[in-house]
Amino acid sequence: MRGVTRVVCVVGAGSLLAGCGVAGGESRGGTDPNGVVRASWSDPQRPIEPGNTNEVQGGKVLGLITRGLTRYDPKTAESVNDLAESIETEDSRVWRIRLREGLRFSDGTPVTARSFTDAWNYTANITNKQVNAPFFQYVEGYADVHPADETARPRAKTMSGLKVTGPRTFEVRLTQRYATWAEGLGYQAFAPLPRLFFEDHAAWLRRPVGNGPYKVESYRRGKAMKLVADPAYRGPDKARNGGVELVVYTDPNTAYADLLAGNLDVADDIPAAQLPNAAADLGDRFVVRPAGIIQTVSFPFYDRAWRGARAAKVRRGISMAIDRDAITKRIFNGTRIPAKDWTSPVLGAKGGYDASVCGEVCSYDPKKARRLIEEGGGLPGGKLVLTSNVDTGSHRDWMDAVCHSVDKALGREHSCVVNPVGTFADYRTQVTDRKMTGPFRAGWQMDYPNIENFLSKLYYTDASSNDGGHSNPEFDRLIDQANAAPSAAAAVAGFKDAERILARDVPAIPLWYQNGSAGFSERVRDVALDPFSVPVYQAITVTR
Amino acid sequence: MPDVLQKNPENTAAAPAAAAPEKARSLWGDAVATLLRSPVFLISGLLILLLLTVAFWPGLFTSMSPYDCDLAHSRQGSAPGHPFGFDVQGCDVYARTLYGAKASVEVGVFVTAGVFLLGGLLGMLAGFFGGWWDSLLSRITDIFFGIPIVLGGLVILSVIKANTVWPVIGFMIAFGWPPIARVARGSVITVKQQDFVQAAKALGAGNGRIMLRHIVPNAVAPVIVVSTIALGTYISLEATLSFLGVGLQPPTVSWGQDISTAAAQYRNAPHMLLWPAGALSLTVLSFIMLGEAVRGALDPKQR
Repeated sequence: MRGVTRVVCVVGAGSLLAGCGVAGGESRGGTDPNGVVRASWSDPQRPIEPGNTNEVQGGKVLGLITRGLTRYDPKTAESVNDLAESIETEDSRVWRIRLREGLRFSDGTPVTARSFTDAWNYTANITNKQVNAPFFQYVEGYADVHPADETARPRAKTMSGLKVTGPRTFEVRLTQRYATWAEGLGYQAFAPLPRLFFEDHAAWLRRPVGNGPYKVESYRRGKAMKLVADPAYRGPDKARNGGVELVVYTDPNTAYADLLAGNLDVADDIPAAQLPNAAADLGDRFVVRPAGIIQTVSFPFYDRAWRGARAAKVRRGISMAIDRDAITKRIFNGTRIPAKDWTSPVLGAKGGYDASVCGEVCSYDPKKARRLIEEGGGLPGGKLVLTSNVDTGSHRDWMDAVCHSVDKALGREHSCVVNPVGTFADYRTQVTDRKMTGPFRAGWQMDYPNIENFLSKLYYTDASSNDGGHSNPEFDRLIDQANAAPSAAAAVAGFKDAERILARDVPAIPLWYQNGSAGFSERVRDVALDPFSVPVYQAITVTR
Repeated sequence: MPDVLQKNPENTAAAPAAAAPEKARSLWGDAVATLLRSPVFLISGLLILLLLTVAFWPGLFTSMSPYDCDLAHSRQGSAPGHPFGFDVQGCDVYARTLYGAKASVEVGVFVTAGVFLLGGLLGMLAGFFGGWWDSLLSRITDIFFGIPIVLGGLVILSVIKANTVWPVIGFMIAFGWPPIARVARGSVITVKQQDFVQAAKALGAGNGRIMLRHIVPNAVAPVIVVSTIALGTYISLEATLSFLGVGLQPPTVSWGQDISTAAAQYRNAPHMLLWPAGALSLTVLSFIMLGEAVRGALDPKQR
């Protein structure tokens, strides 16, 4: 996790940033160790499973109930060993992992080396249809369990590169050198799984069992998920409250109103409409911090109309028709920053953030935008249909603004129309089912703080979150090369070379970097957001 | 005013023996005379006239486009040339309020016409033929009557997405006709038993002739009254569906949608909410007042 600098409150209006980082300060008065924190949430797209959850809402739950080999410091995003006692390599190709002693799942069974290798083999195996399978693509034998042809049968059940060498030790052999491989291990796709997961899968899905500070008590779709603190949890980040109730909201404005009324303790994702009031309403109970989130608009490359050099020109034109400065200032009250590359400022300059990569493509130039779109043969189908879910993130507001901006550049009303989808889960399903006909929102919350995560998981051919289906052999080659680089600095330089191809192809239009925002009630204290913009639930204390 | 009516040839011909000072008039003549003396009718009539002008020629009142939005003006209050201020996107609220009238009026008028024809026809058939026709049609009416219309809208309209007003109009006609059918049926049954209908039957008139010449003209008044009063509620139903996101879709400008966007902003920019909401209330009120006035005029008991 070298090069990851914490950017503290450098952006936006100063008044908004009161309470940046950990707010609420030290606990005064009595705390109730059994108090339950009520927090805003939205239904996950699919049932919770480490290998099959690649969106934010399901990720919140996995963050509560699972722990991996490493974890990311909630303040600095630094990757530190968690379940792993040591992760060693000599050649960045063979990695030897030793687990700490006495680790247990919340059902009492021990966490062993096999808990990891079984889980990873399960996720990678094509027959299990897990979206996070590509996270294991560099492990030797991946091609045997996950052939490139999606309909093919696997030639093996397990990856030859995973070898258990003892109850607490195992070895991972990669297909190539990969200097920063261990930095990704804190992502939830690498979490261990108990025997129950394999023996009674249906039961596990009904009530997931992990090794985190919380246990799932109940889940009612559309209502809430209740989690209770696991008293047997021995990790360093033991829950300081009795449990978390994740309450489903389909409108963040309702969540905000509930927060003010005292019916909700933590609301992350403060809606844009309330941002001008949040500082006055909440005072130091309003938290804003930079997060590893970039909002982009992606394109459906499975649609012929969006492929080819002429379409690339149109995409560049659309990007230049968007007035990012005005939208971030007026709609988001300065809590988002116009994007200048495809990564995030939280990576820092050493980590690969570079404001010069996007260049002209990310600037606002309506005249040139119009010329590019016309040269590229006009908008495919005559108009843009911009799609996103509208139950989170104030997406409706910025979509309207983007469409107005495009209309203005083209000098034609209704050249861009919005297609609002009611819920996050429904939207994600439409995206993964490849139902998009025009540009669609592709927000990216980093899985781990590394430039590699912002590029290869989104734009590498057939990557886990390559929703648009972008494919460029040159880009893939540069990514592989960067992964094989001997040092972290060389890797970052390699990834930046790959990123420059994105500036030419524009497979996704960078919109803005998103700060995490949250508000909390007077009933709770010690509420902070981690660099992923997720509340650090286990640290929250409930007052008596 | 009575002078004008006395010149009506139908009146003079129909009542040659009437007393000199107060000539007898038809139901409709009476109704018009009453209406023209009613302040409620005159006020609501003027408002509706204004509304129709705005709906069909919004360009007469503003040169702004409802789609010409500049984020630089986001949420600002009224400014010269922009009396109602701006919304979040920096669009002119005055222009949007004016253009929003069109969709509302279109939906109101077409739905009223639709339910009047559909409900009137089914109600008349049920009332006129009686027997199993009546049983069948009345049960169908009951079934549709039992469906909560907003719930039906959420289910059906969320599936049909089109950028025109027609799916909404079609849905509202399909689910809005039962009350009209009931009124029409009752009215037809009353008229059917009257002497002149029996006389026509005795003279050998066919069903079609009896219905068109004798029943319809005498049974239509209550149906008109109920439909007119309902027009206002159709407009508010359209706004409700649009507010919930299943009614009119952008880029069609509608008050319901604008109210929905403004609802989240009312603390920072209350003008965004007040203007379209005020326009909606005034429109619904005008049509309900008009309906009441027409009812008063057509119902002899109310005089």
